[in-house]
Amino acid sequence: MDPIFNEAAIKIQNSSLLEYKKKGGRVIGYVCSHVPEEVIAAADMLPFRLRGIEIKSTAIGDSYFGPFVCSCPKALLQNAGEGRFSFLDGAIMVQACDSMRRLDECWRKAGTDFPGSLPDFFHYFAVPHKVTDYSVQFFAEEIEKLAKAIEEHFKVSITGQKLDEAIEIYNTTRDLLVQLETLRHRDSPPLTGSETMAIVLAGTAMPKSDYNKLLEATIEDLKKQRAKTHAGKPRILLAGSVVDDLTLIDAIEAEGAVVVADTVCFGARAYSGHVEKGDSRWQTLARRYLNEQFCPRMFGYSNERYELILQKFKDSKADGIVFQNIRFCDLHGSENGLFNKRLDKAGIPNTRIEREYGELADEGRVRMRIGAFLETLGRGKSAA
Amino acid sequence: MRQELTEYDFIWSVNNLLSTAAKTAKGTPKEYQALLKRIPHFADLIDSMVGLGEPGIVFLESFAEYTDMILNAKAQGKKTCFTTFCQSPVILHAMGVVPLVLEVLTVAGTLIRKSAIGEFMDYCLEAGFTETSCSSQRGSMGAYLAGLAEKPDFVLIDTPGICDTNANSFAFAAAHFDIPFYQLNYPPTIDDDRAIEYHRKDFKHMISFLEEQTGKKLNVERLRELMLEMQRQDEMVCELQDLQRLIPNPVPGIYNLFIYAIRFTLAGLPACTRMIDVMLKKAKENAKANRAGTTSGKEEKRALFVYIDHYAANLPLFNFLDQHNISHLGGILDRYYQEDAFYKGSTSYKTETQTLDAMIDSLARQNAHLPMVKQIRGPYDSPEMWLEEIKRLAEMLNPDMTIYSGTPGCRNTWGMVKLLVNDLEKTGYPTHIINSDAFDDRVESWEATAHRLQEFLDLRGFN
Repeated sequence: MDPIFNEAAIKIQNSSLLEYKKKGGRVIGYVCSHVPEEVIAAADMLPFRLRGIEIKSTAIGDSYFGPFVCSCPKALLQNAGEGRFSFLDGAIMVQACDSMRRLDECWRKAGTDFPGSLPDFFHYFAVPHKVTDYSVQFFAEEIEKLAKAIEEHFKVSITGQKLDEAIEIYNTTRDLLVQLETLRHRDSPPLTGSETMAIVLAGTAMPKSDYNKLLEATIEDLKKQRAKTHAGKPRILLAGSVVDDLTLIDAIEAEGAVVVADTVCFGARAYSGHVEKGDSRWQTLARRYLNEQFCPRMFGYSNERYELILQKFKDSKADGIVFQNIRFCDLHGSENGLFNKRLDKAGIPNTRIEREYGELADEGRVRMRIGAFLETLGRGKSAA
Repeated sequence: MRQELTEYDFIWSVNNLLSTAAKTAKGTPKEYQALLKRIPHFADLIDSMVGLGEPGIVFLESFAEYTDMILNAKAQGKKTCFTTFCQSPVILHAMGVVPLVLEVLTVAGTLIRKSAIGEFMDYCLEAGFTETSCSSQRGSMGAYLAGLAEKPDFVLIDTPGICDTNANSFAFAAAHFDIPFYQLNYPPTIDDDRAIEYHRKDFKHMISFLEEQTGKKLNVERLRELMLEMQRQDEMVCELQDLQRLIPNPVPGIYNLFIYAIRFTLAGLPACTRMIDVMLKKAKENAKANRAGTTSGKEEKRALFVYIDHYAANLPLFNFLDQHNISHLGGILDRYYQEDAFYKGSTSYKTETQTLDAMIDSLARQNAHLPMVKQIRGPYDSPEMWLEEIKRLAEMLNPDMTIYSGTPGCRNTWGMVKLLVNDLEKTGYPTHIINSDAFDDRVESWEATAHRLQEFLDLRGFN
């Protein structure tokens, strides 16, 4: 596996990004799976999914957000305040969930207290909470509005041809990541969940054309791999709140399991579904990105998300499901509760964990819970 | 859950207590005093309500009427639906659907079933819900989830895009009961063409959903009749709220709670008109006599609530303000943006009833302006959002202080309240954040909340 994947997964200002900037490339950060990266790429800029990794506290975030708010946007604000996002030429704020949507105001205010922390281009992006003909139309207009804002601010032109090229590249990425996921379904997965997550995360933090080449080569290597490194380990499907670093998966795998599939933001959500070709590119982008299976912020689609989890569980031949939610993420937390009960009735082993975001996670407690869950599967360290 | 809490239907017990309480005032003073001794748990609350005179008694009767509607819905062949406090119930009444307004029912529960409502909240956790979710739904929703009230037929809400924890509670309930779910969904802007068109399409879609659930076509004449009555109610509410601008403010603080409870359950129905009418009458009497709405008739300070109130048993917040001769100038729950509203700014709604399309547009626009739906849908400092509204209200109502009260579950306001408070302080309004839970005083006891509020008053020189 190319070391750049791991570097990009654990370091915001990774060497690929710095190289891109050195060549005069421009970068737009974004905070949610509902943002169509193709629009940014079609403007010859790098879409960069913002993460709260590398922080040691949320002191800056806590100064603007109230106490009862998810630590994810606080961690993002912390990074902005500490200058880790200084490479950004722009940022897109999203009406995603209530915690994340308020990053807009908090970052703008922090921008006055921490000069230079707020990018010049700062755009608010609306995403409907349901999928109907008129909500897709609204969303298509919102995407077009975003494109125009980028064109106007950066004096660039987002042409139909450039959009088509970007769509092609991003669809290729999705195809490759689906191939990678399929490899994990083997009885002996050729790579760990942590290694897979590193590869997926790197795709959100480096130019896609370079990434696709590296990913293709990696997949070819993995296809040839026949060592039974992870055979026989308890296989876990990971679901719930956003996972954008390696610590949680590392904690699960340190207990002897291997994560073989996921439905989390940054993970499988990043590559599910194609942007289909159609008459209106805004419409086709809207149809892919207004996806009811992405996140429980899309209210009333619990059954669709449940079916997705069941399908993934079956395809990946998982032994159990770990549901996790970041504290104050009620959207995932309560849906995890619903699924937990349904799966219990269906006899599918699963557990439900509440945690803090990213590297602030209480690793010891999480490992203890995972260890106990694996024991209930008869597959824990002590069982071995 | 303790067995004694499972003995009676939740709605029946609320109904029984309130309707009985309303009757107590009809006895002689001696009978009334004797009765209070026999209901020690509710004596303070009932005495407070009865002490308000006609408005207090009419409130008890009106809310009893609402809970009667719920209890008799099935027998009358009506459907029931879980809905939000910021949804106009007129369309539901027109379709013969009884709205189960969870937040308002939770408030009723906190007022009269203090020990029970906490356990109902906790029951939600047993059903898989998160403890960090908003308590305003968790109270009454827990009673429903536990089977202590009749299962609703469907869910219809208007908070997606406004408040995740609220919308999520209802989505959870729909999934738990496996019943149909409809959401009115709001963009972050309010008055541009795209937002207006979205509201309109969404509202029409909702009517189709209601027709499907009830098996009936919308009765246009009935809707018109209800809307005209609601228009009358709106005009009276505007008049009442206009009186709050007077110094001293002649409107008793508790009326803000009454308006909220009645407006979102009975709007368009005669019971709502009667309730507003008696409040308006009393406030006008006070105004004429240059009396404040406080018990003493004096006003020493004026407080504008930037969000909601505090609903612990026996209404201690309202009592606290009253005892300190602080006029309550209303909160977010009392702002509806009728075209006659003194605070309307650049946006409002008008009730139009000439054609069905006009009625639908009018209701869609009204819904888009109801509490929370209007103020916190977009960035707090965008046009017509939270900050602009509070500053405008403050200019017009002359408060000495502004106060935030909410719930820890309110992710949306807690994400921006520090910014709001900073801006208000910079503008010159001393502002206090109440850190407790408005619906669950187990999170912070009222005594602790009152202590901090008193400290704020002392430190800022209000005493």
